[in-house]
Amino acid sequence: MAEVSLKGIKKIYDNKVTAVHDVNLEIKDKEFIVLVGPSGCGKSTTLRMVAGLEEISGGELYIGGKLMNGIAPKDRDIAMVFQNYALYPHMSVYDNMAFALTMQKVPKEQIDKKVREVAEILDIAQYLERKPKALSGGQRQRVAIGRAMVRDPKVFLMDEPLSNLDAKLRNQMRAEIIKLRSRINTTFMYVTHDQTEAMTLADRIVIMKDGFVNQIGTPQELFNKPVNLFVAGFIGMPVMNFFEGCRLLLDGDKYYAEIRGVRFELDAFQQKTLKSNGQKPCDIVCGIRPQHITVGEGDLTATVEVNELMGSEYNIHARSGDDEVVMVIPTVGLATDVSMGSRINFTAHSDLIQLFDKESGNNLIWYDAGSAANNAPVCKDYPF
Amino acid sequence: MNNKKPSNARSIIAHVTLIILSFMCLFFFYILLINSTRSHAELQKGFSALPSSHFMENFRAVANDGTFPMLRGIVNSLIVSGCCAAICTYFSALTAYGLYAYRFKLKNAAFTFIMMILVMPTQVTAMGFLRLITKMGMYDTLWPLIIPSIASPAVFYFMYSYLQSSLPLALVEAARIDGSGEFHTFNRIVLPIMKPAIAVQAIFTFVGSWNNYFVPALVLQSKDKMTVPILIATLRGADYMNFDMGKIYMMITVAIVPIIVVYLFLSKFIIAGVTLGGVKE
Ligand SMILES: Nc1ncnc2c1ncn2[C@@H]1O[C@H](COP(=O)(O)OP(=O)(O)OP(=O)(O)O)[C@@H](O)[C@H]1O
Ligand SMILES: [Mg+2]
Repeated sequence: MAEVSLKGIKKIYDNKVTAVHDVNLEIKDKEFIVLVGPSGCGKSTTLRMVAGLEEISGGELYIGGKLMNGIAPKDRDIAMVFQNYALYPHMSVYDNMAFALTMQKVPKEQIDKKVREVAEILDIAQYLERKPKALSGGQRQRVAIGRAMVRDPKVFLMDEPLSNLDAKLRNQMRAEIIKLRSRINTTFMYVTHDQTEAMTLADRIVIMKDGFVNQIGTPQELFNKPVNLFVAGFIGMPVMNFFEGCRLLLDGDKYYAEIRGVRFELDAFQQKTLKSNGQKPCDIVCGIRPQHITVGEGDLTATVEVNELMGSEYNIHARSGDDEVVMVIPTVGLATDVSMGSRINFTAHSDLIQLFDKESGNNLIWYDAGSAANNAPVCKDYPF
Repeated sequence: MNNKKPSNARSIIAHVTLIILSFMCLFFFYILLINSTRSHAELQKGFSALPSSHFMENFRAVANDGTFPMLRGIVNSLIVSGCCAAICTYFSALTAYGLYAYRFKLKNAAFTFIMMILVMPTQVTAMGFLRLITKMGMYDTLWPLIIPSIASPAVFYFMYSYLQSSLPLALVEAARIDGSGEFHTFNRIVLPIMKPAIAVQAIFTFVGSWNNYFVPALVLQSKDKMTVPILIATLRGADYMNFDMGKIYMMITVAIVPIIVVYLFLSKFIIAGVTLGGVKE
């Protein structure tokens, strides 16, 4: 009962800066949506418009089917967790958590019950009398989450809630949010610039750049079916390798990708989709994930520049012509010499090669012009 | 060993200097207190650094004198200074918060305008002010001393700087989401956070108002409306040969006591306030 629906949402600051362009997004009830993207891409602005903290310059926002443009934050039945916690410094943890319920004139006993229950879940029951100043970063973040939880909001908004924590605590809190999620059982919108958080928490990820949504999809879709170069480069660690100056060739009725003069015959699915799209031969950029490269075979060559042993695998930074190629190679069963300075051959299975149009940067297979025109780009769906 | 000696010497010089300076500052207060314990006859004889025994006598004389209603003056001063301190800090904080937390057109213009008033001396506007309050029927009342303190650019600026250093806007937004109305947010969230700044400014405003001579002198006529500085000033007309000097010293002593009490009461905040904005979390 708390779907969130953004229809052509737009934000123009001071009649000048357009921070968010026409965002269309349908969030299902109890879905966990993560907004991700580089700094300044408009994630926070989008979230703040949903919260009602920022005026909506254009478009319509619905929460639970009700039009929310111009409605005050307190009447939207939302809760928000801020990056810097935003706990009231002069109130005890208990009063911080009880504040919203006090505002709603909930009876005292009921408030007390709810606060203690949530404090128990979040493991902060022993700090209820303390002031926020006397808590560690992780504890403060729990209080901030608790303050949002006591309200049982329709929508739970979080703006980079973990970015003030150190790496270890962040991992721990991330796991706790995953656990909490099943207990809170409501719709989430979560902003982060950390792709690990996005991949592990999200049902669907919305990836933004310069105020535009670039792709909406499940973590797997974003990883396997990126619609353009930006999405392909943003998702995945280490970053996908891009090979410039490649060609898509059509020889007879077979498509080939040519990378530095080496021909790769595309696999059956790629053949079929390209054919159904009526794809013409063109200049392309090929993308291969570091994990998808095999060394010791194939006709592409590179010189190893740096070789990092990461326990069970090598992270190899190699130079191949003008491109730096990063490869993640399992140490087990590795027959090739990958020490620094050595020449290696490498290749990748053709179905793992992503093909991007050189001019537009769009994925030849997964880019879907229809949904992109609606400003809600998803990967293309094929009937086969 | 070698660098201990010069530092010792320096410390001695520093202490001596400071003692002399403190002595110069405090000596007059001391003499004032001593003289308030001496009778007129003793005072005529000359200077003495030792207290005498006429304290209560002088005090009674001050309390019972109908022509110089000192206690009434103190009450008036307390009312005026107390009200000034309260409304000046509250409304300055409110104004500063409004300019700090809200985005609106002409925000910068409003800020510049307030800062402009800061450089305008009271004396320039005095004639107009006097006419205004006369027309409004507030001549010879305490209102003209209290109401104008609502608008105090200097206090406003102090509050504004303090907000910048210590109130993250996310707090206000969190309160908004929690369902707190704008005024409620100001009173329940913002004011408590501003407590140190308010305490400092309350003291300064109180003292400033307590010592204010110019405006009360313009506005007040009747003896029973007068504030302490005006009353003391009327003593200047007294004949020093015949007037009871012990009583005058007593009056002045009584006049400064409330200020000292206020200071002692709030000194914790003053010290905190002097370092305001210096330390960030
Ligand atoms: N109050 C404002 N006035 C004018 N421009 C603003 C304002 N707030 C944000 N912007 C601009 O809007 C754009 C989007 O900002 P936003 O805060 O949404 O980015 P973000 O994606 O959350 O980035 P980050 O990861 O750094 O938090 C930025 O270019 C920013 O400069
Ligand atoms: Mg942000």
